[in-house]
Amino acid sequence: MQEKQLTTGAVSPSGAAAVSPSAHADTTAKWFLISAIGYFFIVGIIAITIAAKFVWPELLGTVAPLSYGRLRPLHVNGMLFGWLLAADMGLTFYLVPRLCGVRIWSEKLGIATAALWNVIILGAVVSLLAGWNQGLEYAELPLALDIAVVAAWIMFGFNIFATIGTRRYAQMYVSLWYIMGTILWTAFVYLTGNFAVLAATGVNQANLNWMYVHNAVGLIFTPVGLALAYYFIPKSGNIPLFSHKLSMIGFWSLAFVYVWTGAHHMLHGPISQWLQTIAIVFSVMLLIPVWTVVYNFFATMKGQWQQLRENVPLKFLMSGVVFYLLTCFQGPMHSLRSVNAIVSKTDWIPGHAHMAVLGAFSFFAVAGCYYAIPRMFNRTLYSDALANWSYWLLMIGGLGFFVTLWLGGVWQGWQWNNPAIPFIDTVVALKPVWLVRFVSGILMFAGIVAFLYNVLATVTGAAGVEKPRAAAA
Amino acid sequence: MLSKTDASAAAFAVAAVVFFLIGGLLTTVVPPLVDKTWGKPFENSDPSKGPIGKLEPYTDLERKGRDIYVREGCWYCHTQQTRTLLADTKRSGWRGVDAPISTPDEFVYDSPHMFGTKRTGPDLSRVGGKYDAQWHKTHFRNPRDLVPGSIMPPFPWIAENPEEFDAMVAYLQKLGRAKDWRPDHDYEH
Repeated sequence: MQEKQLTTGAVSPSGAAAVSPSAHADTTAKWFLISAIGYFFIVGIIAITIAAKFVWPELLGTVAPLSYGRLRPLHVNGMLFGWLLAADMGLTFYLVPRLCGVRIWSEKLGIATAALWNVIILGAVVSLLAGWNQGLEYAELPLALDIAVVAAWIMFGFNIFATIGTRRYAQMYVSLWYIMGTILWTAFVYLTGNFAVLAATGVNQANLNWMYVHNAVGLIFTPVGLALAYYFIPKSGNIPLFSHKLSMIGFWSLAFVYVWTGAHHMLHGPISQWLQTIAIVFSVMLLIPVWTVVYNFFATMKGQWQQLRENVPLKFLMSGVVFYLLTCFQGPMHSLRSVNAIVSKTDWIPGHAHMAVLGAFSFFAVAGCYYAIPRMFNRTLYSDALANWSYWLLMIGGLGFFVTLWLGGVWQGWQWNNPAIPFIDTVVALKPVWLVRFVSGILMFAGIVAFLYNVLATVTGAAGVEKPRAAAA
Repeated sequence: MLSKTDASAAAFAVAAVVFFLIGGLLTTVVPPLVDKTWGKPFENSDPSKGPIGKLEPYTDLERKGRDIYVREGCWYCHTQQTRTLLADTKRSGWRGVDAPISTPDEFVYDSPHMFGTKRTGPDLSRVGGKYDAQWHKTHFRNPRDLVPGSIMPPFPWIAENPEEFDAMVAYLQKLGRAKDWRPDHDYEH
């Protein structure tokens, strides 16, 4: 091991490369990323379909497997596990060996993990369309697939920890902590939400379910997403991270605070008031890890903001950071009882959730793909202009989606709180909002198509991408 | 203390799991031990303490209807909780009578729970007994025939299947009925 001296100040994601960049085969990363981007596209079609059903409720209405209640879980699970988590795992397989200065512990185990993951996603498509739904949000998949997910996660975690165990540098860069945290916490969070939950009923079961749902975002997608941001912001901007110490504060406060907040999904509902209060207090404390992390990223960019003009990965990354800041400001605010009484259960909530999963974490993953995929295939990106288009389509479509649902949700909440207004009138009032949401969805989907096309043209070696990249990965 | 975790993956792993488990255990394992109403079925025979009644387990037919409710994803758009908000008790109410708020002891036999997070359609926690079977049949065939402006999808494969339809109605009529909250007991069948 090198570098006995531990750093607390500015730090770069990797020291002198112990292994030459060309020594990384990246086969696992490639498999994960290509299939993830494929699911991003396919599930995007499902997303537009369910958005259209809000506008034309009869659409495909007599075909049971294509009804709203079957497609919605496929949209959610497909985006979370088929696209985002698979992309996160693929990028993890890319950056961990590079941060450790070694090759991945086992490329064969990694390929087997990617293959198993694809079997799980295809199994999910079949079972959800058939209506084999466990009835618990984010945990819809049947038990056999849950067991396969656990197996895949053990294979993934073992490979990553074994690679970190053979690293050449003593001090671990912050991305490695977040990845290790993700692997460990996901084990507990997933087992709680998919296995322990089956032994409980009623409110007790709901409490376990919300602990899982909340931490699927907070302790799975957040830490692995931040691992990507901590790696790709300094890398794609070629600037050192502002502060190592600040990143430690952000990490350990996240580790402690996040898990307490599950009950905020049942505010005003049939769950003990004292547990609601605990969830509220910890939800507000979430501002600490979020603002620490965001400050660190902004300070890293100091004097470098002009790079956003040309650098598409950095554009996605810093927009993702702003969305992360906003979504994590909304979260604590929703958990206040007075705000919750207006926005809870309304269309505001999908606006908020999409900003987290699409605006923040998917933007990080897309940036990672744009940065890493050309380097893995030793090519240049097919088209920077097309990448720029994908950014603006996802950005404008995303903003259209988020903002109209927030406005619509607040409006809906105020109407619900006036019992003189019949419920159906509050449905009819939202119809223009759902039309805008559908159109925004088409813009976002066009962004996904541009992203997919650009990646495929790059990896299949379309004209102009063959010359090897000068910069080392 | 935490600076050690910076260079040791093992120390890191232990600290990360311990930090997580403090909140993890205190918010999942402990609450049902402290609040016993989570696991005790509702029962009240004293009108001065609120609505009387008793929570009965689901019959086979009701459970079958519930399975259809889960299968079709009804719970993605319909919540089942009358919250501690005045507007909720009015909206879950019926013919001028406010509904009682939902309490944990009414859901002891629910698995999977159907509390829901999104209210695209109205809350169903007190829907039991409000509409008769004929209303539900027409509504499942095409919701817009009864509620103009509704965006609920049609469910012809439930309406046209007598076995599934009877089970579905049996389940819906059970919802919220543990508490006998209608002063005139004017429940539809």
